[in-house]
Amino acid sequence: MITCGVDIGSRTIKVVIFDGQNIIDSATTLSGAAPRDNAERLYLEMLAANHCTQSDIAMTVATGYGRNYFELADKVSSEIICHTAGVAFLCPQVRTIIDIGGQDSKVVQVSAEGKVADFVMNDRCAAGTGKFIEMVAHTLNMSLEETGTAALSCDEICEVSSMCAVFAESEVIGLLHKGVPPEVILRGVFRSVAKRVVSLGRKLGFAEPIVFTGGVAQNPGVLEAIRVQVGDPSVEIPSNPQLTGSLGAAIIGQQIATKKLQ
Amino acid sequence: MLDTSKGGFTPEKQAPSPLDYFKSAISDEIRYVSEQKDAGRGIVGFYCEFTPRDLIMAAGATPICLCGTSQNTISHAEALLPSNLCPLIKSSFGYALTGGCPLLNDSDLLVAETTCDGKKKMYEILSRDKNMHVLELTQKSDKERAFKHWLAEVEELKQKLEQTFQVDITEQKLRAAIKSMNEERRLILAIQELGQHKPAIVSGYEIAQTRYRVAGFSKHHEQMKSFLDMAENRLTQGYQAAPADAPRVLLTGCPTGHGTEKLIEIIEECGGVVVVQEACSGIKGVYEEVSEQGDPLEAIARKHFNIPCSCMTPNKGREDLLRKLARDYQADAVIDLVWQACHTYNVESVLINEFVRNELGLAYLKVETDYSSSDREQLKVRVQTLLELAQ
Repeated sequence: MITCGVDIGSRTIKVVIFDGQNIIDSATTLSGAAPRDNAERLYLEMLAANHCTQSDIAMTVATGYGRNYFELADKVSSEIICHTAGVAFLCPQVRTIIDIGGQDSKVVQVSAEGKVADFVMNDRCAAGTGKFIEMVAHTLNMSLEETGTAALSCDEICEVSSMCAVFAESEVIGLLHKGVPPEVILRGVFRSVAKRVVSLGRKLGFAEPIVFTGGVAQNPGVLEAIRVQVGDPSVEIPSNPQLTGSLGAAIIGQQIATKKLQ
Repeated sequence: MLDTSKGGFTPEKQAPSPLDYFKSAISDEIRYVSEQKDAGRGIVGFYCEFTPRDLIMAAGATPICLCGTSQNTISHAEALLPSNLCPLIKSSFGYALTGGCPLLNDSDLLVAETTCDGKKKMYEILSRDKNMHVLELTQKSDKERAFKHWLAEVEELKQKLEQTFQVDITEQKLRAAIKSMNEERRLILAIQELGQHKPAIVSGYEIAQTRYRVAGFSKHHEQMKSFLDMAENRLTQGYQAAPADAPRVLLTGCPTGHGTEKLIEIIEECGGVVVVQEACSGIKGVYEEVSEQGDPLEAIARKHFNIPCSCMTPNKGREDLLRKLARDYQADAVIDLVWQACHTYNVESVLINEFVRNELGLAYLKVETDYSSSDREQLKVRVQTLLELAQ
């Protein structure tokens, strides 16, 4: 049985086609100014590329911020539920998920059955999320990829106290004027991002194994900072951390479709 | 397992006249209060369920709950008040500053209370321009000496009302006022109790619409009765306000009002149904009546003293009420609404979280927000997750 998961996030759209065992295909695109249209286009292109039509898909589940507006979906499910299902599929032992996306960060406590036991999420402010890191990269005139490698290349660190995407910019500019090298600033920025998400999740505790997901998990500099802040060098990222939400949506689709058949 | 259909459940369209009435009842209230004033009747505005409406009615005056629920007046209030104050205080104060509330403008006397530090100090600023009487709430609601102090406060309010309106509040007047307020409370309670039906015959949003400001207004009483009739008709017709398997939410915490139903809307858009509100905008003020036996002033004081607000310590009454409501309304989940900077509800949520999960065995979510709608989508993620988990 084939199901499809569509994760329409604040920054990117992710689509996964799944047969219950394996990811058959996956694709991502930017959400842009017309996320609903972009999601529809990517979804239909994916189906065409895999020589299937909508009727071949047993169930399409949408998740992410655009989930309620994606009309081709049969069901919607929250991204917390979907990310957890996706991560638990890839790493069945997982007990804690740290997820940092484009505009929010979450910590999920996972039960022994691989389900959400409890969760916390940041407030409306984008502090300490992917958007914040994008802003810093822009200020430093670097690509997102470069920020990760630059931070890992250095041992020094400086204090970046502001977490606000607006105020941090002036703090970063101030540090640059003082002559602090960009990679040192980046380590400081990543540490403050890690500190924020770790303090967010402290009320749930960080039972191991811990898995780090979301678009920001692709940044090795942030991964390193999370490992230090949580005090666990074994924090892992799934092979494609950006896809766990859409994979989870496809898994939820498998569960619903199976239930329907019974 | 996930069963939330996209965009939530849309009940069939009906033309519920009592609902339309309550949605625009403010204009009827403004007209009524102005007529009362012209007829020489005293008008008393107040801000909190702790204020005994019975006593105001016994003084021959009209009691009006002025609690602010508009986002629009907040920016005006922030000209004087700090921005990190709860939206309810700011909104109430903003109305006073702008003169935008005819009910407040018509009030001859404002009765305030010391429920929190922010309100207490805001009332001091307000008292420069308004005739204000502040009730000092005692905080240890399990102590009789606290009750004695509260009784003295209620007695002082009685004297204040007698002086202001040049009346004598007799025992007979008190008994009559208690009787009529109890009737009104029973009507409000009956509407709240419609939420006990499973599947739901009224939505939480609809019940929230019936909240009004002016007490003792017979038109409200008639409309509440038609609301109950409408629900009765729905029941006979097999009408459902939400799917039979919609997660049933017990909403607790800070009060909502007209214009601040954001969280109720989000819960119901995500496929849940708010079956009861424990807050003072729901059942908290009406689940207990004023005793019609014994000394009437003491009975009035006792009923209000027993309100399980987070400003009391400890506030065991809230847990008892939650336990009863979870059972009577067959709740699947508890959502705790905290208006930003409402410290007592915010901190108490630690205890409520543990109580709900461990003693009631229900899913629990605290939502901290304000009156603006900028965080709707983010709140939906949390609420939808909780509802999926509760199913």
